[in-house]
Amino acid sequence: MVKAEKKEQSASTHKIGIYMWIWGLLFVLSFFSYMVDWYNFQGMLRWSLILFFMFLKAGLIMAFFMHLFWERYALVNVLLWPMTAIACFIFLMVAEFEYTLFSRAFYFVVGGGA
Amino acid sequence: MSDEYDNNKTYQAQSSETMGGSAPASPDMDYVRPAEIPDQELYHGHSFITKWVFCQDAKVIGVQYFLTAVFTGVVGLILSWLMRLQLGFPGAAGFMTAEHYYQFVTMHGMIMVVYFLTALFLGGFGNYLIPLMVGARDMVFPYVNMISFWMFFIAVAVLMASFFVPGGPTGAGWTLYPPQTILPGTPGAGMGILLMLVSLSLFVIGFTMGGLNYLITILQARTRGMTLMRMPLTVWGIFTATVLAMLAFPALLVSAIMMTLDKILGTSFFMPTIIQAGEVLDYGGGSPILFQHLFWFFGHPEVYIVALPAFGIVSDLISVHSRKNIFGYRMMVWAIVGIGALSFFVWAHHMYVSGMNPWFGFFFATTTLIIAVPTAMKVYNWILTLWRGNIRLNTVMLWCLGFIVTFVNGGITGIFLGNVSVDVPLSDTYFVIAHFHMVMGIAPLMVIMGAVYHWFPLVSGKFLDEKLGKWHFWFTFLGAYSIYFPMHYLGFIGVPRRYFEMYDSPYMTSAVGMNEFISMAAFIVGAAQFILIYNIIKTLKVGKKAGHNPWKANSLEWLTSTVPPEHGNFGERLPVVHRWPYDFSVPGAKEDYITQTTPPSEVVHTEVEKT
Amino acid sequence: MSDPKIEGLQLKPGFRGMADDTGSDQTMFKGVHWGKAMMWIFLLSDTFVFSCFLISYMKGRGSTLVDWPYPSEVFALHVGGVSVPLLLIAIMTFVLITSSGTMALAVKYGYEKNRKMCGWLVLATALGGLTFVGMQAFEWSKLIEEGVRPWENPFGAAQFGSFFFMITGFHGTHVSIGVIFLFIYAYKVFAGHYENGGKRGWFTTMKGDYVEIEILGLYWHFVDLVWVFIFAFFYLW
Repeated sequence: MVKAEKKEQSASTHKIGIYMWIWGLLFVLSFFSYMVDWYNFQGMLRWSLILFFMFLKAGLIMAFFMHLFWERYALVNVLLWPMTAIACFIFLMVAEFEYTLFSRAFYFVVGGGA
Repeated sequence: MSDEYDNNKTYQAQSSETMGGSAPASPDMDYVRPAEIPDQELYHGHSFITKWVFCQDAKVIGVQYFLTAVFTGVVGLILSWLMRLQLGFPGAAGFMTAEHYYQFVTMHGMIMVVYFLTALFLGGFGNYLIPLMVGARDMVFPYVNMISFWMFFIAVAVLMASFFVPGGPTGAGWTLYPPQTILPGTPGAGMGILLMLVSLSLFVIGFTMGGLNYLITILQARTRGMTLMRMPLTVWGIFTATVLAMLAFPALLVSAIMMTLDKILGTSFFMPTIIQAGEVLDYGGGSPILFQHLFWFFGHPEVYIVALPAFGIVSDLISVHSRKNIFGYRMMVWAIVGIGALSFFVWAHHMYVSGMNPWFGFFFATTTLIIAVPTAMKVYNWILTLWRGNIRLNTVMLWCLGFIVTFVNGGITGIFLGNVSVDVPLSDTYFVIAHFHMVMGIAPLMVIMGAVYHWFPLVSGKFLDEKLGKWHFWFTFLGAYSIYFPMHYLGFIGVPRRYFEMYDSPYMTSAVGMNEFISMAAFIVGAAQFILIYNIIKTLKVGKKAGHNPWKANSLEWLTSTVPPEHGNFGERLPVVHRWPYDFSVPGAKEDYITQTTPPSEVVHTEVEKT
Repeated sequence: MSDPKIEGLQLKPGFRGMADDTGSDQTMFKGVHWGKAMMWIFLLSDTFVFSCFLISYMKGRGSTLVDWPYPSEVFALHVGGVSVPLLLIAIMTFVLITSSGTMALAVKYGYEKNRKMCGWLVLATALGGLTFVGMQAFEWSKLIEEGVRPWENPFGAAQFGSFFFMITGFHGTHVSIGVIFLFIYAYKVFAGHYENGGKRGWFTTMKGDYVEIEILGLYWHFVDLVWVFIFAFFYLW
C-alpha cells in the first residue's frame, strides 16, 4: 500500500517560499490579535477583530500547512460539512446560555414572579 | 464510475446465437480498471497468542467483540429479570432494596445501549463483515484494530468491576444526570460512578480506534469495481453509524471528563448551588442542563448508531431471502445518510421537560418529525421488496418480518413523543419505556438474531437448527410484544418510569395485574434466548454442513476461497466486482442469483440492473 | 497535494471531480494514503472533542451571574515592575507557530527525501513543543501560586479556573503526546527507517514511508490550530 505513494511524492512538494509566506503571515496575524488586547479595544470591534484574525489564522494553517488547499474536493468536503453540526450546536447553546442567564437573574436576583 | 466500461446497460437478448451461450460478447465488456493500491501484506500470527488472543485478523476480532458483547448482554438480561421481579411481585426478592433497583436499572440501560448493541453491531458485525463485503484482505490498520478490541475489553472489565466496589455500581439512571449522579444519597455515588465514567471514556477511546479502521477500509480499500453504490446496504448502515459514532462519542467523552472533575476535584461544571440536609455544599454556579445537552448530543446519534446497522443488515437479509432486489437501493442509501445527518439536529427532543429554553421545543419537534420521512421511506421499501418476492419463510426471514413489525410500532410511538404537547404528559412514563424498547431494543435485537442465523453458516460452516430457531423466534417475538405492548397502556394511565414500587398509589391497584403479566412474559423471553446459545453449541457439535454460499447470496462475503474464510479472505486474487449485490431472479438468467463477481459477458442475455 | 496520476482514470477538478471520486471504485480520496485519511478523520473527531469543550465553556461563561475574571489582567506578567498583558501567552503562541512552521518544512523535505534536513526539522519541532509545554507548566504554577484552583479563584467566577485548567490541560496533553511522537519520529528519520523502500514495523508487515511525517505533521498543525481557538476564546475574549 505504501508504495503507491511514490507517484504522489514527485508531485507533492511545494516551493519553500509558500511556507515562508504563510509562516510570516501567521506571525503578523498573531501580532495583530495581540494588539487587539494591547490597545484594549472593547465591544463589537474587539469581538469581530478577534474572530476575524482567528478564522484567518485557522484557515491559513488548514489550507497551506495541512495542505487542504491542494487536496481534492472529496476530502475537503468530507472534513468541512460535519462542522454544520457544530455550528448548530453553538447557535443553540448561545440561545441556551442567554435563557439560563435570564432565568438566573429573574429567579435569584429579581426574586421571581412572587 | 461507469465511464470506463459501459457494461451495465440492460443487455437484451442480442441474437439467437448468444441465447444460452457462454461465449463473451466482446472482450472489453468485462474491463475493470487496474488496482490503484498494491495488495495488502498481512501479519500472520504464529503462536496461539498472536492467532487467537492478540489477533490482527478482523474476523477473529469481530468474533471477540461479539462474544464479549453477548456476555455483557447476558448480564443486562439478568438485571432486567431482577427489575421485572421487583416490579411484578414487589418484595418477592428479599435482597432487593430501592438502591439495588436503581443500580440495576442504570446498569441495564448502559450495558444494553453502549456495551451490548453498539459493540455488537459495529465491533462485531462491522469487523467481521466490512473487509469481506468490500473485498479487502483485512482492515487497513489491523494492529490498531486489535488494540481497539482490548480497550473495549478493559472498558467492560472496569464496568463489571463496579459491581464489586463499596457502594456498588452507580444508580443514577443510564443518562447519569447531574447533580444527583455524584451526590451522596444516590447509590454508587462514590466509586460506582467513577468506574462508570472511566469505563465510558475507555470505550470511546477504543471505539475511535476501531471506527477509524471501519471508515477508512470502506473509503480507501475497496476492491476493483466496488463503487460506493455497489456496496451491500449492511456496509452502508455500519459505515454511516460509524461516522455518527466518531462525531457523537466526543460529546460523551467531554461530559464524562467534566463530570469526573466535578466528582474528584470539586469543580462545578454541572453542579448548581445545593443545600443537602440543611448544609450548603461547596458546589455552585454550574449548569445541569449543559450536561443534558452534551449527553443527548451524543445520545441521539447513539440511537441511530444502533438503528442504522440494523436497517442495513435487515435490507440485505430481506433481499436475499425473498429472492428479489432491494426496492429503491439508492433511496435506501440516501435515507441512511439523511437519517445520519439529521440525527445531529434533533437531540433536545429528549429534554422537552428539562427546563431548557422553551423556544427549542419548536425547532426540535420540527427536525424530529422530518427525520420520520426517510425512516418511513425505508419501511415502505422493505415491504415493497417483499411484495411478490419468492419469500423463503425460514428463521432469518421470520426475524426480519418481526423487525419490521416492531420497528413500525416503535417508530409510530416516536412520532407521538416527538411532539412537545404530547410528550409533556407522556414523558417519564412507561409509554417512553415501551417506545424506546420497541424501536431500539427489540427491533435491532430481531435483526441481530436474523443476522446470526444468516451468517452463522459463514462463520462456522454449519447451519443453525431451523426448528429450534423458529421456537426461539416465536417465543421472543410474541413474548416481547407481551412485554412492551401493555406498557403503552401503563404509560397512558400515567405509571411513572424508574419507580421502585408503586406502594398504595392508584397505579398500584389498576396496574398490578398487568405488571405481573409483563414480568412473567419477561422471564419467558429472557429464558428463550438461551435456546440460541444451546442451538449454537449443538450446531457446532452436530450441525448440518453448509458449504459454499448456502443461501445463494450475491455479496462478496459468500465468495471467499474457503468457508469459513481464512486470514486474507480471498485466497490468491482479490475478487473483481461487476455489479451490485442484489441481482436476484433476473429475467433470462440461468439461476435466480448473479453474484457480484459474475462478469457482464456471462450474463449478456439477461436484464440486469444498471449499477 | 496536487492531483495524483492514476492509471485508467482521468481526474477532474472541483465539484465534478468530487462527484467522480465519490462514485469511483477502490478509493474515494484519490492518491491519499490510508494513514493520512485516517489521521484526517481522527482530527475531525478530535475537533468535535475540542468544540464540545469550548461550547461548554461558552455556556458556562455566558450564563454566570458572578463576574468573569478579566483575562488580560489575570494572565499578565510583571517585567521590571511593569505589568505586560498576556506576555507569556504571546510568547507561547510564537513558539507554537514557529514549531508549526518547522513541521511544515520537515514534511516538505521528507517528501524530497532529504533525510538530514527532515530529521533536524522534526527535532526542532519537538523542541518547540517541549518549550511550549514547559511554559504552560510555568503558567499553571504561577496561577496556582496566585490562588487559582479548579474549584475556586480569587478573581471571580469559580468556573474560570475549572475551564482554564481543563481545556488548557487537555490541549497540553495533546501537545505532550505530540512531542513524544516527534522525538520518536525524529529518531526514525535519522535512523533511515524511511529510506530504501522503508523498514518494517513491529508486529506488522507495513513498511515505513515519509508519508508518516506528513501524517504526524497533520496532528501537530491541528494542535496549533486548537491553540488559535483557545488563544482567541480564552485569553483575548
